[in-house]
Amino acid sequence: MTTEPKTELNRLFGLYKAEWLNGQLFELFTEPKYFPDLRSHKPCALIGGRGTGKTTVLRGLSYEGQLAFNKKDYSSIPTWASYGIYYRVNTNRVTAFQGPELTVDRWGRYFAHYINLLLCGKLASFLEWYSLHTKRPVELSAASIGRVASSLHLPAVTTLSGLAEGIKASIISFEASINSIADDNPVTLSLQGQPLDVFTGELINTTEFKGKTFSFLIDEYENFLDFQQRVVNTIVKHCGGAYTIKIGVKDLGWRTRDTLNDNERLHHPADYQRIHIGEELEETFSEFAKRVCDSRLLKAGVALGIEDFFPRLTEEEEAEKLRVREVLGDLGSLLEGAEASELEFARSLPVLEVFSMAAFANAQRIKPVDVLRSAMSDRRKWLERYSNYRHAFLFTIRRGKVGIRKYYTGWDVMCKLSGGNIRYLLELVHQSFSDHFELGLDHRSSIVPDVQTAAAEKVGKKNLTELEGVSVEGARLTKLLLSLGRVFQVMAADPVGHTPEVNQFALTSSGNSPADAAVDSLLRAAVMHLAVVRQAGSKLADDSDTREYDYMLHPIFAPFFVYSYRRKRKMKLTAQQVLDLVQHPAETIKAVLESTGRRQPDFSPLPDQLQLFQGFFHAGS
Amino acid sequence: MPVRDEPLPVQVFEQTTAFTPPTAAVYIYGHLPEDRSEHVESWRNANSGTRAIEITSQSSAEIELKIGDASVKLPLRSARQLSSFWSSFAGSDVYMDITGLEHQVWAPLLQTAIANRVSLYVVYVEPAKYSYSPTPTDGQIFDLSARISGIAPLPGFANLADQASTDDWFIPLLGFEGTRLRHVIEHVQPAADRIIPVIGIPGFRPEYPFHAYLGNKGALEETESWASVRYAQANCPFSLYYLLKSISRDRPNGTLMIAPIGTKPHGLGAILFKIASQRAVEIIYDHPVRSKKRTEGTDRLFVYSISAFLGSARP
Repeated sequence: MTTEPKTELNRLFGLYKAEWLNGQLFELFTEPKYFPDLRSHKPCALIGGRGTGKTTVLRGLSYEGQLAFNKKDYSSIPTWASYGIYYRVNTNRVTAFQGPELTVDRWGRYFAHYINLLLCGKLASFLEWYSLHTKRPVELSAASIGRVASSLHLPAVTTLSGLAEGIKASIISFEASINSIADDNPVTLSLQGQPLDVFTGELINTTEFKGKTFSFLIDEYENFLDFQQRVVNTIVKHCGGAYTIKIGVKDLGWRTRDTLNDNERLHHPADYQRIHIGEELEETFSEFAKRVCDSRLLKAGVALGIEDFFPRLTEEEEAEKLRVREVLGDLGSLLEGAEASELEFARSLPVLEVFSMAAFANAQRIKPVDVLRSAMSDRRKWLERYSNYRHAFLFTIRRGKVGIRKYYTGWDVMCKLSGGNIRYLLELVHQSFSDHFELGLDHRSSIVPDVQTAAAEKVGKKNLTELEGVSVEGARLTKLLLSLGRVFQVMAADPVGHTPEVNQFALTSSGNSPADAAVDSLLRAAVMHLAVVRQAGSKLADDSDTREYDYMLHPIFAPFFVYSYRRKRKMKLTAQQVLDLVQHPAETIKAVLESTGRRQPDFSPLPDQLQLFQGFFHAGS
Repeated sequence: MPVRDEPLPVQVFEQTTAFTPPTAAVYIYGHLPEDRSEHVESWRNANSGTRAIEITSQSSAEIELKIGDASVKLPLRSARQLSSFWSSFAGSDVYMDITGLEHQVWAPLLQTAIANRVSLYVVYVEPAKYSYSPTPTDGQIFDLSARISGIAPLPGFANLADQASTDDWFIPLLGFEGTRLRHVIEHVQPAADRIIPVIGIPGFRPEYPFHAYLGNKGALEETESWASVRYAQANCPFSLYYLLKSISRDRPNGTLMIAPIGTKPHGLGAILFKIASQRAVEIIYDHPVRSKKRTEGTDRLFVYSISAFLGSARP
């Protein structure tokens, strides 16, 4: 029985987390343009936030992923040039390797042994899988297996299954040692990286794997502790020949490039290839996202392309939908005192332009007809002024009103809101389709602006609340975003007489105060977990220096807070203000807005979707 | 299930002042910045027979105890030293009051006490009320944790085998703090249909289960795991144990990953299950840093007969 397109669309677009996809991960995989670079034998670092596709891509490189791409053609397995072995760094494992019981150096040696056991164990599992599915034995001699076992300090074994069992037993025994680490029971530790060299070296000497290579795909590298990153960096530095390493890591999550050797670091491009997903897809994200979505539409049996579902409103159309004419009222009354020719001219203008004149007049406490006359007398100057504020004025039409205060519509806008993050994009599409279907509509009609906007708002809210859990700083990040979001929302609703479209900030203070250190740590977490995005400020900066960047809340949050997603103008904040926005939000929001010349009674009321956080915004007031 | 098959060896005291440990017993306790961890002082001065051992400092690596006039440090990842510690109380009933102890302290003490066949009772005091957050958000209505230190194994409970499989189940024992649930979900990354949340019902107070639902609403909705919620009495570790046993029986494959982020009695039940179970069980703990004055006052006091329970319970 064929599944209804509606049901299929909901299902296919609802699968946007790699860990949910399981069997469908590879069926729905769309190859990004940087994928061929990852297949090279060179070590690679794939850098990007959550939802940018790192896990999907690394799992796509794994042997399970490759089999799925080859449509489960088991006969193809022996023909592959390389075999990827996927490993996700599990925080609950690696954090066992810390504590005052041992020095950091000693922990490093214990951890190196653990990594040897872990990766060799995965390699052994892969070989079992290989034999099972190809029906071809891996002809490692007893002597070869013995050498691998010896490198891991395992009891002598002569078969691959014996080796696999020996590794498992060794891990269990090692676990007991870690759980009683203060007893200092003697443990024989393998040498840094040596078992990997031995095992892969033995394998490429077999007929089966002659000329082949292995890739260890290490995902969520940021979960390693700093000294653990140095241990694995050392493997990256010295791997070659039989195996390579590909890592997936969040922005700022690769905290050190040092290795265990003094004065030795990993350098790009000499030691590894750096692939920053955001940078790679910056120009082509819309195209990539289109392919991802269109492939799902095709699977669901839908003939339309994704862009067809997301029509965009022009600014004029949007102004009309925001009922700007109701706000303006009768033009004759608005432009009281105007000559007939002036009135006729005004009627010929786009209604948003007339609204702008009224808004400027209101702010300057002059008559709208005076603004009209000024615009008529120097049309070029007026148009320049209008163009600076035109988009900003859209946020003011329904200031303080219930319901939608700003529309977010169009495929290109959806791409901009997702900020290059494919997961966010799929969430926006999924939510839009879901709400569209709730209205009783189907896949033959496009998604109306109200639905697109409501969906964008819901996705923003969802990701804001999810932020709480992404890191140990999650709760503080949520509060920071709520506070900054409110600041930018109030500014967006009241742009006249102020710099329009302010939605970025830069830090003013410099120095080494506790506040500076605390805010550096908070902003690093914010960037890493996509609470904010950053761009180098006017001064060139080191990657780790948070001080020389311009920061903006991730555009996905813009519809929730109701301000512009376009990267425009910035304000200055001190480190203490940023911290106070977390700890004392109500008073700090007020103080920050007052510093821009806005007074509290005039603050735009909370949009409907922020009413839920009233307790937060009014705390202490 | 008849009570005879699933006994609940718990003594309940409506007020802390109604409880005094037996004269010949050993009483181990500590302090957290909460009123309820101070109840020991009410009987300590009057009761000179009970040997009171105060844990004066707690960390993830070691504790410092006051034994008589001496101050002793005890590493929490030393089976040898913990065994030696317990053997010094051979023949005595030991009461371990977990009210004023962090999970990373009482869990390894409990594990080694059981391994050394100590005649063990665990004491727990409910708070009168929890403090509300001055800056509430969706997942943080109460002010219970200043921050999360991060996921790390409890001392003595590290799992190193990399055995993640599609058969695994994630069982978060819910408290009020949705932030903590989101954090463990973010790290465990369970499939949405492999989550079985547990809510404490009946709660310490009738309204508390609603707070648990409200505080965790976002994550429960997004994962649709609200449909799989199970219940166990909030102040009873043994009820939780039996629930886990039932879940385990119905799902014999894979690892049960249990996150004790709710009540301490539920945490106790989870650790007992982990210790007693023959199958793969992993404890996922986020090490919250407790807010000062997160609770006020004291309510009921519970004494859980651990030795009696483990003597009768089969995993």
